[in-house]
Amino acid sequence: MISGNRSKIWRIASWVIASILILPIFIMLASGLSAATELFSHLWNTVLPTYILNTLYLALIVGALSTILGVTSAVLITQTNIKGKATLRWLLMLPLAMPAYLVAYLYTDLFDYAGPVQRYLRELFGWNSPADYWFFDIRTLAGAGIVISLVLYPYVYMLARTAFEQQDQNLHRASRLLGLTPFQTFYKVCLPLARPAIAIALSLTIMETLADFATVQYFAVNTLTTAIYDTWLGYGDLSTANALASLLMMMVFVVVLFEQKVRMNHRHQTNRPVKSSHIILLSFSQQLLASLFCWLLAILGFLLPLILLVVMSVEYATLEQIDVLISTGVNSIELAVYTATIACVIALVVVLFKRLHQDKSKGLPLNISGVGYAIPGTVLAMAMLATFGPLDNYINSAAAYLGFEEPGLILSGTIFAIVFAFVVRFSAIANGAISSGVEQIPQSIDLAPPSLGVGRLKGLLTVHIPLLKPSIFIAWLLVFVEAMKELPAVLLLRPFNFDTLSTQIYQLISDERLEQGAIGAILIVAFGLIPIIWLNKNEDKV
Amino acid sequence: MTNSIEIHHLAVKLDKKTILSDINFSLQAGEILGLVGPSGCGKTTLLNTLAGFIEQENGSIVIGDSIKITKENKLPPEQRNLGMIFQDYALFPHLTVENNVGFGIEKLNKSSKQARINELLNLLELSELSQRYPHQLSGGQQQRVAIARALAPQPQVLLLDEPFSNIDARLRNELMIEIRQLLKSLNMTAIFVTHNKDEVFTFADKIAVMYQGKILQMGSPIHVSQQPNSWQVADFLQLGSWLPFQVKNDGVETAIGNINLGTEELTALNVHTSDLSTEINEKCLQSVLLIKPKVIEVTFDDPANVVVNHIGVTEQGYQYIVNSIENSTELAFSRLSFYHEDIFELGQQLSICIKHHQYLAFQQNTI
Repeated sequence: MISGNRSKIWRIASWVIASILILPIFIMLASGLSAATELFSHLWNTVLPTYILNTLYLALIVGALSTILGVTSAVLITQTNIKGKATLRWLLMLPLAMPAYLVAYLYTDLFDYAGPVQRYLRELFGWNSPADYWFFDIRTLAGAGIVISLVLYPYVYMLARTAFEQQDQNLHRASRLLGLTPFQTFYKVCLPLARPAIAIALSLTIMETLADFATVQYFAVNTLTTAIYDTWLGYGDLSTANALASLLMMMVFVVVLFEQKVRMNHRHQTNRPVKSSHIILLSFSQQLLASLFCWLLAILGFLLPLILLVVMSVEYATLEQIDVLISTGVNSIELAVYTATIACVIALVVVLFKRLHQDKSKGLPLNISGVGYAIPGTVLAMAMLATFGPLDNYINSAAAYLGFEEPGLILSGTIFAIVFAFVVRFSAIANGAISSGVEQIPQSIDLAPPSLGVGRLKGLLTVHIPLLKPSIFIAWLLVFVEAMKELPAVLLLRPFNFDTLSTQIYQLISDERLEQGAIGAILIVAFGLIPIIWLNKNEDKV
Repeated sequence: MTNSIEIHHLAVKLDKKTILSDINFSLQAGEILGLVGPSGCGKTTLLNTLAGFIEQENGSIVIGDSIKITKENKLPPEQRNLGMIFQDYALFPHLTVENNVGFGIEKLNKSSKQARINELLNLLELSELSQRYPHQLSGGQQQRVAIARALAPQPQVLLLDEPFSNIDARLRNELMIEIRQLLKSLNMTAIFVTHNKDEVFTFADKIAVMYQGKILQMGSPIHVSQQPNSWQVADFLQLGSWLPFQVKNDGVETAIGNINLGTEELTALNVHTSDLSTEINEKCLQSVLLIKPKVIEVTFDDPANVVVNHIGVTEQGYQYIVNSIENSTELAFSRLSFYHEDIFELGQQLSICIKHHQYLAFQQNTI
C-alpha cells in the first residue's frame, strides 16, 4: 500500500483530474438552467415540445425495436438448434461497426422514389407516379428509428447472449426435473434470469439514441441534438443551446439512474458458465425461418451497407479523393492519438489510486471520471463552449491588460476543446479496460515489492505497469477507435477549415454526394470493427 | 412389494467412449442407495442418465409401475417423476424460497399448491424464511430449500448429487442423520452420489462401489465392508492396509513372517485371487492380504520386523504406519497401519504379528 507524501500527491492528482473532467458539465448546466432568453421562450412556445417528443419517440422506437431484435436473435443463437450458429454468432455483432448515418444515407438512396427499388417496382407493375402505389417513406421518425435500431440491436444481442450462455445449466435441469418443458423452462427460468442484462443493454441503446445527431439531421427529424446544433451554429445563441443541452443531459441522467439501479440488482449471474446443449429444438422449417431472420439482421445492418459502399468506392474512386482522405485522416489520427494517450494516463492514475490506497472514497475519482460515457457528444461540445469560451475571453483580456498580443481562442477554438470533450466521453472505456487488467493481478502482488525491500513507486513501475501492458494497449486502441468515429462533438467544436474523416463524410452526406467519400466511410467501418473483433476474441478466451 | 426403480443392463457412451456398462440394480420403496467410487468412475454420469440429461446407449430404466425408459422409448426429464438435489442446490436466484418450493407444482390448484408449500416449509423448518431469496440464506438453509423443492411434486425417487459436500464438516454428520430420518419418515427412495466413504456408511441402506463405469459390488454397508469382492472396493472404502504374500505349502509367506493356514483356508484364498487375475497383465499383479488395523498385535519379545515411519493421533489411540525392515524382496511393504495405545518413536523397530482371522486376499495392480 502507498502511504506518506507520495500518497497525498496521488490522492490530490486523482481528485483534481476527476473534478476537471466533470467541471465543464456543471458549468454548462449552471449556465443552461439560468437561461431565460427570449429565444428560449420562443422555442418553448413553438418547436421545443415537438423536439422533445421526437426525441422521446425515437428513444421509444429504438428501445423497443432493438430489444425485440436483440433478444430474439440471442435466444435463437443460444437456446435453439439453429443452422449456421457458429457464423451467425459473430455476424450478428457486426452492425455495431456501422454508423447509423451511413445506413440512413445508403438506404435512402436505395428506397427513395428515385432509387433502384422503387424504379424497378414501377417498371415491373407499370406505375407512373407516387399516386399509383404506396411505399414506405424512410425519411421519417419511424425510418430513423428503424435505421438506428438496425445498428444498435447488437448491444442487446451481445449482453443477452452472454447472460443466456452464463446461466447455470443446473438451473435448467432443476426446472426440467420439476416437470417443466423446455419452452416453459425458457420462459420461467432463462428469460427472468437474463432480464437485468437486457435492461442494461436497453439503457445503453437509449443513451446512444439520445446521442445520435447525424441520422436524424439527415432525415430532417428534429430532435434535441439537432436543435442544439441549429441554435448554436444557426443562431449563435450559446445560452439557449446550453439550456437545450442541459435538457438532453437530464434525460440521459434518468437513463443512467435506471441503468445503475439495474446493475445494483444484477446478482443472478453464476460464475459457472456451462456450454449447454440447446434446450429448444426447432423443426426444419422453423430452423430455416430462424436462420433467415438472423441473416436478414446481419445483412440489413452490416453486409448490404458495406457492399453498397464498396460498389460506390469502386465506381467513383479518384486520386483527388485519396488526397482529401489522407489530409482528413491525419487530423482524425492526431485527435485520436492525443485522446487515447491522455485517457490511458488518467485511467492509470485513478484505477491504481483505487487499487493501492486505503481511503474510504478511493473508488470515487474512478467513478467520476467515467461518467462522461453517457453524455451525448453534442452536450459535451456545449459544455466545452460554455466553459472555455469565457475562459478564452478572460485570457485575452488579461493579455491585453498586460500588454501582450491577444492569443485568440486558444482553448475553445482549437483541437484542445475537441480532445478534452473526447477524453471526458471515452475515459470510461479506458477505465474499464485497465480496471479489468488490474483485477487480474492478485492482491498479493501489491505486497510483494515492499516485502522484498523495493520502494513502492519502483515496484509500481517494474511490476504493475509491465503486467498491465496488454490492458493499456487494449484501452488505448479502444479509445483510439471511438475517437476516430466520433462525429457530433467535432462538428460543433472544430476550428475553421478543420475536417476529420467523420466530419468530411458527414459533409458529403449532407451534400448528397457520399460517392466521393466512400473509401473514407469504409475506413470508418473498418475502425469500428476493431473493438468488435477484440470483444469476440476476448469472449472465446473465457 | 414393487420396486421404486429398476435398472437393467444400462450402458452409456459419450463420444463413442463407454462411460457406463452393464449397470443393474433395483431399489424398493424407501431404500437409500449410495453410489461411491473414485472420481471419473461414472457415478455422476449414472445419476444424470437416470435423470434424463444423458441418453442411454442400452438397457432400461423402470421407474415405479408405469414408466419404462429404453433407448427407443425416450422420456424427457420432466416426465420421469424424479426429484434431484444438485451439488450447488441450483435454487432459482430470482424466486423467493416459497416460489422455489412451489415451482414444480404449478399444475395444482391454488389452495392445494399453497397447502403443499406450507406443509414442506413446516417439515423443513423454513416457514420463517419463506419470503427470502436464495442468496440471503446459509448453505444449510439453501439445502433444505432444495430438498423441499424436490419433494414438492412427490417424486418416485430422489436423486442427490454430492449432497453434503458444501456443508461444514462439523455439521455434516448431524445433517446427514436428520435428512436420513426425514427421507425414512416419508418412505422416500433415494440414490445419492458421493466420494466420501463416511457419508455412505452413515446415510445409505445399500452401497454400490463403482469403478471404471461398472458397479463392482453392491450390498448393505456392513456386508460390503466385511466381504469386499475386490481390491478396488476394499481400497476405496479404506478397509485396511495391504500385506504382500506368496503361497507356500503350509500357508503363506510375508515380510513379517509366515502365516500358517489350513488347507480349506488356502483353497479359499486361491479361489479368490485367481478370480480376479484374468483381465490384467499378470506381471503387474501382486497377491496381497487385506489387513484391518484391529488384527495387528505388537509383540514385544520377538525379533523386530517393522519400522515406524509415521505417527498420528486419533480418537482410537496412536495411529502407526510401519514399513518392513526387510525391503529388498518382492514382499516388502511400506504402509501397514494399526492403532496402539503405547507411545513408540519414529524410526523405532517393532515386532508385530497378525492375529488369526478370516483372511481376505486380492490381486493388486501394482502400476
